[in-house]
Amino acid sequence: MSLASTASAKDQPSMLARLFARQELALLVCLILVLAFFSITVENFFSVRNMTNVLGQASLALTAGIGCAIVFISGEVDISIGSLLATIALPLIIIMNDTNSLLLGVGGALLFGLIIGVVNGYLVAYAGINSLIVTLGTMFIMRGGVYLYTGQRAIPDDASLDSFIALSDGRLFNIVPYSAVIAIALLVAFGYMMQHRPFGRQIYAVGGNQEVARLAGYDVRRVKFICFIISALLATVAGIILAARVGSAQHTAGLNFEFQVVAATVLGGVSLAGGIGSLTGMALGVLILQFLSNGLRGLGLPTEWQLVITGMIIIAAVAFDEAKRRRANGG
Amino acid sequence: MSVDFLHPGEGAAIDTNVPALEMRGIGKRFPGVVALDNVDFTLEPGKIHALMGENGAGKSTLIKIMAGVYGKDAGTIRMRGREVDIKSPRDSLKEGIKVVFQEIALISEFTVAENIFLEGYPTGRTGSIDWKKIRADSAALFNRIGFNVDPAARTGSLPVSQQQMVEIARALAHEARVVVMDEPTSSLTPNEVSLLFTVIRRLAALGIAVVYVSHKLDEVFEIADTVTVLRDGRHISTRPIGEHTNDTLIQDMIGRRIDNLFPRQRGAAGSKVALSVEKLSTAKKLIDVSFEARAGEVLGFFGLMGAGRTELAKAIVGYDPIISGTIAVDGQRLAPHDTRTGVRLGIGLLTEDRKSEGLMGELPVYQNASLASLGAFARLGFVDKAKEHQAVQDYVDRFRIKTPSLFQQIKNLSGGNQQKVLISRWLMRGLKVIVVDEPTRGIDVGAKSEIFALIDRLAGEGLAVVMMTSEMPELLGLADRIAVMCEGRLTAIMSREDATQEKILNAAIG
Repeated sequence: MSLASTASAKDQPSMLARLFARQELALLVCLILVLAFFSITVENFFSVRNMTNVLGQASLALTAGIGCAIVFISGEVDISIGSLLATIALPLIIIMNDTNSLLLGVGGALLFGLIIGVVNGYLVAYAGINSLIVTLGTMFIMRGGVYLYTGQRAIPDDASLDSFIALSDGRLFNIVPYSAVIAIALLVAFGYMMQHRPFGRQIYAVGGNQEVARLAGYDVRRVKFICFIISALLATVAGIILAARVGSAQHTAGLNFEFQVVAATVLGGVSLAGGIGSLTGMALGVLILQFLSNGLRGLGLPTEWQLVITGMIIIAAVAFDEAKRRRANGG
Repeated sequence: MSVDFLHPGEGAAIDTNVPALEMRGIGKRFPGVVALDNVDFTLEPGKIHALMGENGAGKSTLIKIMAGVYGKDAGTIRMRGREVDIKSPRDSLKEGIKVVFQEIALISEFTVAENIFLEGYPTGRTGSIDWKKIRADSAALFNRIGFNVDPAARTGSLPVSQQQMVEIARALAHEARVVVMDEPTSSLTPNEVSLLFTVIRRLAALGIAVVYVSHKLDEVFEIADTVTVLRDGRHISTRPIGEHTNDTLIQDMIGRRIDNLFPRQRGAAGSKVALSVEKLSTAKKLIDVSFEARAGEVLGFFGLMGAGRTELAKAIVGYDPIISGTIAVDGQRLAPHDTRTGVRLGIGLLTEDRKSEGLMGELPVYQNASLASLGAFARLGFVDKAKEHQAVQDYVDRFRIKTPSLFQQIKNLSGGNQQKVLISRWLMRGLKVIVVDEPTRGIDVGAKSEIFALIDRLAGEGLAVVMMTSEMPELLGLADRIAVMCEGRLTAIMSREDATQEKILNAAIG
């Protein structure tokens, strides 16, 4: 007993190490550094207008990122979200054009998203097929379906409902874009679920160790099934916002979106192996990449360079994380 | 009835005349094996019931059926007289059956407190988790049991022994009628074991039926009221402990008598130094460790928990980094310090943690055995399968490895047989020094003596065997010389003739 207790006292890391052991704090410092750098180098970067604009742009990735992170935490992946963005715009726009009702359009889109979530979730959780394969498959199927249905032409939003357009350019108190308000509200709600509701903890447990979760009486398959449904529904919300922004259903909508979200989620410290990470981390990851991209554009750097830099940052972040973990485990 | 762990009173209405759990005619088959055949097992409330048997006797299968991990093929299960259908761990937990498995079943990223309440979080009115209660209750639970574990610690950062205490505590956090402990003492210190026994007795006093699975006869004699012995999937005997002696119990378990657990066949060790270690230090633990091991000898390392045996084992085979010192196998220096060089020079490790460092559980027996020597079976860069299978088959025959075929996934073999496959892996490679770390952890009496015989034979064939052990009888029975460690240092080396338990323990305390 005494041996054990001295060992744990000895293993207490230093103040600074403990601070940085909190993933979110390290990310927050990075975000502040990014903001500070561009505030100095780019004119008008640190203005209410630019900040809220970036927040609005980030809202898509923030919303879908919640689902992506939750699926990651459960130990699976979902890369079908980009195609889902394009797919659900079809029922949304078509129903709105037919009925002039935002509610019915959104309802139709959510129903469609729900079905995709059920298919993904069923194939992964109950049929036992690898989630990367399943969602790669549904990603192609949905994208192909949208191409076929639209004949590669955009379907414009003819209804032009005020409430729908407000999703794209409306601002709360004339400051914060509604899309960002929605994203933040969802983040808070799901963040609370992940940390304080039994179901959220079950997701962590399942991703942390599936066998242990089963022995503790959890229905592992049900947990994973629901995670895929959550992911699909959140991607649907992102898709609705995107459709409002572009004012149409487009076959190219959300192309490569899944990889931007995955990149931000991984940067945010959510482990692909499951059981590790937080929605706060994911959100910080999204914001870092979004502000970086905005700032680099402000510096006049072409998009191609943004891609290169984003790639390097992700690898560096994960490598740093890995090194930290190795040190924590004393190896 | 005055003491309870967290739920005072809940166990109060237990009728001692009705069995807490009654399993009748339980049958279970796996492909090619009858694991359980018409087994009866009855637990009285308030009694401690030891479940014993050799490797593959069916103990774990029976427990896993109780826990809902496996479904049964035949038989009935009654809880307090009422027939129940246990189809999943959830059903089993709901019936109040708490199983503490030997393999740690905790989420390592969670805090200790959260792990304790994993199977049912206490929630407030809104259905949100009451973290305050979780922290307070788990601290209270540890206090009452007397275990010294920090509830706020990240579980994965704790040593195995503390994780085991967390598992035990977890079984007591919710209402329990049957508590099953599978080899609970395998990584506990003597102090912790006596604490555990106090806890078990208190559980029994509360009317809980306790199943105690162990290979350690002395523990069973100390704690159990009743003993059930299984052999080859069949029920052999259920008797009050008072009717048993060491001999009758062993006889029931193996169906024959073991006269000598440590049959020494080998001759005296040679004088040729096979392994020499000089002033070895590591960042984590070891300080200036120097010793030599000779060809044909078993050099036993003893030490209390945390003394640095496993660290030493991993360092000398090149697995863990060192900061200073030299290691030489047959006079050739282990440099660069990695396992590739280690294997090339002829030193290999039989790990204490078979599951995560030894086995590739999903892969078949033959691939597990041939892993280190694929080069020897290769022709033009391709593995000659026929040659590989033949070589593995030779070892399966030689060591009497019980497996339905070479293609069986190794995770389906018993611990003893897995260990034999791992030994084959190294012998096939042609080793000069084999380092064995707790070679009989999780392996039972009959199979133990086979592993001992195997180690004896390895030394007899001229290998230097470096054996890390915390089992005194194993040490005294097998080793030619005994080295003792304490807090990372080597505190004594003595010949078997000079060694006494007292001397060894004194050196281990430092």
